[in-house]
Amino acid sequence: MSVLPFPSFLDDIKEKGLKRALFEGINEVVERATAGMNVQDLREALRGDAPSRKPNPRLQPHADGFWLHMRPSYFHKSVTGLYPEFRLGWLSTYFVFFETITGIFLMVWYTPSPDVAYANMLSIMANVPLGQFMRDLHRLGAEAMVLIVTLHMLRTFLTASYKKPREFTWFSGVILLALTFFLSFSGYLLPWDQLALWAVTIGASMVEAAPPEIVGTNLNLLLRGGPEIGANGLLRFYLLHVLAVPALLFIFVGVHYYKVVLHAHSLPPGEENIGEDTAKRVPLDKRVYFIPDVLTSEIMWIGITTLVLIVLVTWFFHAPLEAHANPQSTPLGTTAPWYFLWVQGALKLGDKVIWGIVFPTIVVVFLMAYPYLDVTKSRRWAHRRLQLTIAFGMAAGFTVLSYMGLPEFGVINSADSEILHELTKEPAFNHVGVLLPVPYDELAPGMYITRQFQAEPGDEASVVSAFNAEIANGAFPVEGGRTLIQYLDQGQHLPVSSLTFTTAADGTALHEAMAEFSHMMELERLELRNGWGAVIVTEWQPGLKRVDVVLSWDDVEMRGGAPVLDANGDSIPRLDANGSGIRRVNSDHIFIHENAQYFAAPGS
Amino acid sequence: MNLQRLLVERIEHRILVGTVAFLGIMVLVGWIAINENGRMQAFQRQYEARAIERGAELFTANCTTCHGANGYGGARGPALNTPYLFGHDFLAETRRERLGLETEATLATTSEERKVAISERLVALEALEAPIRQQMNAAVLKGYNPDAPSRLANLGWGGGLPNFLYTTLVHGRPTSGSYWPQAMAAWAQRAGGPLRSDQLEDLTAYIINWDKGSEWTVEDLLAVQQFPKVPADGAELAALLANAEPRIGVETPVEEIMVGLEGLSGDVQNGQTLYNGVLACSGCHMNAAVAPPTEGTWTRVNEVRLLEPQFAGYTPEMYLAESIIHPNDYIVPAYGAGLMPANFGERVTYQDLSDLIAYIASQDQPIG
Repeated sequence: MSVLPFPSFLDDIKEKGLKRALFEGINEVVERATAGMNVQDLREALRGDAPSRKPNPRLQPHADGFWLHMRPSYFHKSVTGLYPEFRLGWLSTYFVFFETITGIFLMVWYTPSPDVAYANMLSIMANVPLGQFMRDLHRLGAEAMVLIVTLHMLRTFLTASYKKPREFTWFSGVILLALTFFLSFSGYLLPWDQLALWAVTIGASMVEAAPPEIVGTNLNLLLRGGPEIGANGLLRFYLLHVLAVPALLFIFVGVHYYKVVLHAHSLPPGEENIGEDTAKRVPLDKRVYFIPDVLTSEIMWIGITTLVLIVLVTWFFHAPLEAHANPQSTPLGTTAPWYFLWVQGALKLGDKVIWGIVFPTIVVVFLMAYPYLDVTKSRRWAHRRLQLTIAFGMAAGFTVLSYMGLPEFGVINSADSEILHELTKEPAFNHVGVLLPVPYDELAPGMYITRQFQAEPGDEASVVSAFNAEIANGAFPVEGGRTLIQYLDQGQHLPVSSLTFTTAADGTALHEAMAEFSHMMELERLELRNGWGAVIVTEWQPGLKRVDVVLSWDDVEMRGGAPVLDANGDSIPRLDANGSGIRRVNSDHIFIHENAQYFAAPGS
Repeated sequence: MNLQRLLVERIEHRILVGTVAFLGIMVLVGWIAINENGRMQAFQRQYEARAIERGAELFTANCTTCHGANGYGGARGPALNTPYLFGHDFLAETRRERLGLETEATLATTSEERKVAISERLVALEALEAPIRQQMNAAVLKGYNPDAPSRLANLGWGGGLPNFLYTTLVHGRPTSGSYWPQAMAAWAQRAGGPLRSDQLEDLTAYIINWDKGSEWTVEDLLAVQQFPKVPADGAELAALLANAEPRIGVETPVEEIMVGLEGLSGDVQNGQTLYNGVLACSGCHMNAAVAPPTEGTWTRVNEVRLLEPQFAGYTPEMYLAESIIHPNDYIVPAYGAGLMPANFGERVTYQDLSDLIAYIASQDQPIG
């Protein structure tokens, strides 16, 4: 007799005792949650035993559950090893969810407005517990996703899995690849730092090149929300990044997945007769069931991947955050994100329209159309020499183009501005000016000169004092008839009344930096003829030092960004109207605060 | 292949590897979480340091010309690297004691004996201050007042120094051109200037970094080349006012005004200057829309207003004097009451009033 007007758990306890009633209750909950497997079934599955009851309860979740109905209940044994799939497709899917979750976390702390976006970044870094961690994971995950999706495509190409009947699976995969690239790229702008602004400016300028002009101009306006990227552009990229592109991505992930399940995973090329596709007909002894084998494998791969990412962001990788975006100042050596370097490299080959628009379009269209063009039946390696040659040729080509996209290739800056940049640039891409990491204490106020490093050992002090004498005699005048002191005092606002250089103390980081400086000057001795470099460290404010870098050299004849050489391989001094040489000077300065910690470990 | 065996073939291995991976994740995330406070503080410190660096860069590029490379000021702008801006009081200790003693001396409960001791101590304190005041003399000559040592207190600024600096950077000093060679421009993009708000914050951080707290020395004060200028010094202004000709006053009855006007002859030229310029009468008295027009006033007063019974015995001068000093005593029909300012009594002298009346008369000769 029930104590309540309806049958209840209390009646069960009365009838069966607490222990048994509880166990049966839990068992029922588990069975409902898994859509068909009770505790005993799960236990058997995880132990690797055969199912003890019939019909096989491990097939039930595929039949009755929502999530697993999208997955096949068994796979062919040959596609469950490392080869041929390397779990790249599964990891791509995982990254879609990984990026969504970390992205939502960041979204909570972010407002897409140029007024506050950068401040939001600082706040995420300085005030949000695990904020930097999430940002690092999201950023690293994005880069990893681009890499994994690309490798997934490469693998599919190599094993010829795009062939009939999977042409459309490949087609939708190329769309997913493009969406992945664009997702990653559109996220680039959001921190609103210099890196973001200029990488995206380069990317968006390709849109502007689309012919005819009226189309390019208007596409550019649509994307950037104005002639330059500003508040509108940031909002558009944000909406593309969090709404439009993810929506498309989820749709195409669905399409892609459906096609994968429909046609089943293609077997390794060698296991089938030419022209056959037996993936759907899996003999009983070749079946590997999703529960428990593939499921445990997938969860394990998620675990390993996540662990690798977390290890990387704990010790090796931090998402870059450069100075606040500044449309007025273009940093030297701006590049597109690494996965678009090949476009930047191609742009250096010539016409913007051909290499910036037509060429990438051809690449994408070629990839999409490839399974419809390559209709040969065989998937065997030996029968696909041409296709494999194309694949490796393209891989090599993209590598070379990407290298060409680097600022090291084909971008000519004058030697003096390159050296100043190398010495003083702010941290970017784990690269920092030589002078910035010098410990604050070793940055002793004083004046230092590269001449010290051209002296014989033991002779440094006299070389430096000889140089001081030269300066005192009015050597190295600055254009416009000014002395160096006037140049520094009036032109650079560095209050100096005399120039007295000393030797940098041996064994200090400053000494090393000066040696490096001297080495750079030596490498550029043709362009910076009779050149010297000076570093002037001034105590500026409590805890703040000013560091001036000054370069002085004889102007030489230049052609095409390189010095003209005479018969002896020496550069030729340029002369003014009176036939005398021209002394050039260039300088830059930075301020270094004792707490600035350039490249110290986080938390130290 | 070992990797194949470990990761693929046996379910126990997969479960083991997966479990170890998840454990590793939890340990690492836990470890990161434990260190988060330290990391966030380190980032904050680092960020503030770099803000000062960027501020220094901006200052050198934009502010040095007027405020000097080291912030000591000059002919074009005041010093920022100065104890005065940060409100450091070199006489703080003696001042605090002196104020306490002075208050105590005024209390009824203080004994005469104690009062004597207090006045002795006050003399001693003065002697203690004397050498410091002597040292600061050079700064005093440049406009520093040792007894009003805080810029913000002198300005009556309610907020903190960072707010003061930031606000000044945003808007500039629009009227400072009247006491400096050139007004300080607005620097914020929102106010039409070139800098973003984060750059203004960097600049503020840089200027604040000059603060030495309790370490300021008189040498720092003496290094200053130029202290802030005050548009009008309060004392000077009071002296000016004391020597000025007396104003008529808003309460003075018209009969007394007429006595004051006796013997004065109006200067039409000066009256016109007052009417069109300083007092801005012509701003309203122009086309009969807001106030009766200037032209024909004299005729209207003679032929219309003075016929009214209340103006029996009035001369036109008296009518005009009353209309200027007590504008609401009579409102010309069809015009609004209370529109004309009633404070001209505070603003004009008897001579000014006489000049004004002469000017109005000159605009329309009296009849007969």
